[in-house]
Amino acid sequence: MIKVIAACVIGAALAGGSAYMVTNIATESTATAEPVNETLYNYGDR
Amino acid sequence: MSRWLPWAVGLVAAVLALGPALGRGYVLRYDMVFVPDLSLPTVLRGADGFPRAIPSDAVVAALSWVLPGGVVQSLALAAVFVVGAAGAARLMPSPAAAVVAGAAYVWNPFVAERLLLGQWAMLLGYAGLPWVVGAARGPLAGVVRSLVPAAVGGFSSVVLSALTAGPVALWGRGGLRRGGFLAAALAVVSLPWLVPALTAGAAGATTDPAGVAAFAPRADTPLGTAGSLFLLGGVWNAHAVPAGYGDPVAAALRLALCLAAVAGWAWWLYRDRPEFGPGLTAAAVLGFGVALLGATEPGRGALAWLIGLWPGFGPLRDGQLYVAPLALVQALGLGAVALWLSRPAVGAAAASGAGEAVRGTGERVSAAGRIAGAVAVAGLALLPVVALPGLLWGARGALAPVEYPRDWSAAQAAVAADDRPGAVLVLPWSAYRGIDWSGGPVVVLDPATRLFDRRTVWNDDLAVGTPDGGTVVVRGEDERAREAAGVLEPDPRTGLPESLDAAALAGLGVRYVAVSAPVDNRFWSDADGFSVVVEGPDMTLLEVLEAPINTEEADIPGLEVTCGLVTVGAIIWSVGRSGSSLGFQRTGVERRPGARKEIP
Repeated sequence: MIKVIAACVIGAALAGGSAYMVTNIATESTATAEPVNETLYNYGDR
Repeated sequence: MSRWLPWAVGLVAAVLALGPALGRGYVLRYDMVFVPDLSLPTVLRGADGFPRAIPSDAVVAALSWVLPGGVVQSLALAAVFVVGAAGAARLMPSPAAAVVAGAAYVWNPFVAERLLLGQWAMLLGYAGLPWVVGAARGPLAGVVRSLVPAAVGGFSSVVLSALTAGPVALWGRGGLRRGGFLAAALAVVSLPWLVPALTAGAAGATTDPAGVAAFAPRADTPLGTAGSLFLLGGVWNAHAVPAGYGDPVAAALRLALCLAAVAGWAWWLYRDRPEFGPGLTAAAVLGFGVALLGATEPGRGALAWLIGLWPGFGPLRDGQLYVAPLALVQALGLGAVALWLSRPAVGAAAASGAGEAVRGTGERVSAAGRIAGAVAVAGLALLPVVALPGLLWGARGALAPVEYPRDWSAAQAAVAADDRPGAVLVLPWSAYRGIDWSGGPVVVLDPATRLFDRRTVWNDDLAVGTPDGGTVVVRGEDERAREAAGVLEPDPRTGLPESLDAAALAGLGVRYVAVSAPVDNRFWSDADGFSVVVEGPDMTLLEVLEAPINTEEADIPGLEVTCGLVTVGAIIWSVGRSGSSLGFQRTGVERRPGARKEIP
């Protein structure tokens, strides 16, 4: 019984996560976190 | 377990994660710089400062003799996933657990963020960690062989291997002997970079304590810095975080996965008592503690004090690196959850000695349990991917291959055709560039620093932006670069000098000046003593007409070559000694005396 419950929980997480992922990818803007239009670049930004 | 299953898991993960990055061209991003025809002698001669590029660049240069540089890069990146997944998988006792553990070990925020930071050599060492853990309690030859990825990866890889495998080797009876084996093996594979670090070139090298603030872990999820580190993220660079990773939904899913993994690890330790379990747990706790040091003000103060005391503590400043043993614990813990889900159902065993009616019910329960377990395991193997979709297909395009522009190739050929000695000075005076050869800007260590078959002089200071808009500059280690900065006096906004002084550059031993980015200011047009060798939109190569002085190029040190050969010889010995190749070697988990007997 506990395995059935575990399977349901994992399945729900998978379904929910997948739906969120697809939505996220579909609606993601093309904006980028990279700095642009600079002459010099930092190694990174915190 | 199928012999090839662990490798197949890694291969699938590599294709899914890298995707277009495995195609034709070179993937350039932050520290990841591959160039065509990387010069082995130049790599071996090195520059002032700590030999971070040894031996990873030397191996790449050697492989580039027989394969195109882009292919070498694809192999190196794929190896991270294949070797890592196979290593984690082979530590598990069942195929289902192996698949889940292998997938979880190579598909997590640690791998994604370090990959986006371009630290492929360190990731190679990370991929080798489960192999070292599996070998740390065995004979010396096995330990040396398991350290091959760390030997290629270099300094950070060896440090991670020591942190992860040290407690595993030392734990329990015979720990000192095993610890001695491990220390000897680590020393042997470290020779190629350890000797240059200890000899004159780097003996006076310092580590700027400013790096503690610059490279401390940061919160990349709503869970704070400690929570982000527990989720295996928390890298210092905000631009190295996979797309969508910081979202509350993704973070919550990832948190649930990590908690389940830790619970699974505890259950497995209790049930099977894998002999590496206590040591690996200690390594994970120790590593997490080191990572947390940089998350607090007193911790950062202590780190800065330590680095000021001895530069050898410098590696501790990038604390997030040390969650790597925790990543292995979580991967194996998730594998243990799969083990629990796929073990025989209670009903089946209980019914075997009962009457027919009870047996029928038991078999139905067993079948339902088996199906549910299989479904759950399959879901569990996919959950790391769903929780971190930002790593999919070249980290959603962040790892895209590009071809070097023609003027870069022309500049490389022109310098290679010149037998006269003298270094190449690289401008603009900044280590990192925002190249846009693929249509979008990608920040990368200037590839011109590796392009030429001779010494390059470039600004190795590291500038890191802070959230308040400021900049922390971590001082570089190349003394010749400091001298060049004094001569150039570059504009801090553009990295370009107002003019060039041929005599001064000749005094520094400079034969060529490479301007490796499009610039509006043709500062060389009014300067005397230069001729333009290559001029294109992406690269301008100038020759200093005045004969350079102080051009003596360091010879390839015989001692260092000897050390490299000793390392190679030790690896060949270890492979021969074990009577097998570096291929699959099942260490698995044997149930230890005292392991809890499963109650059917």
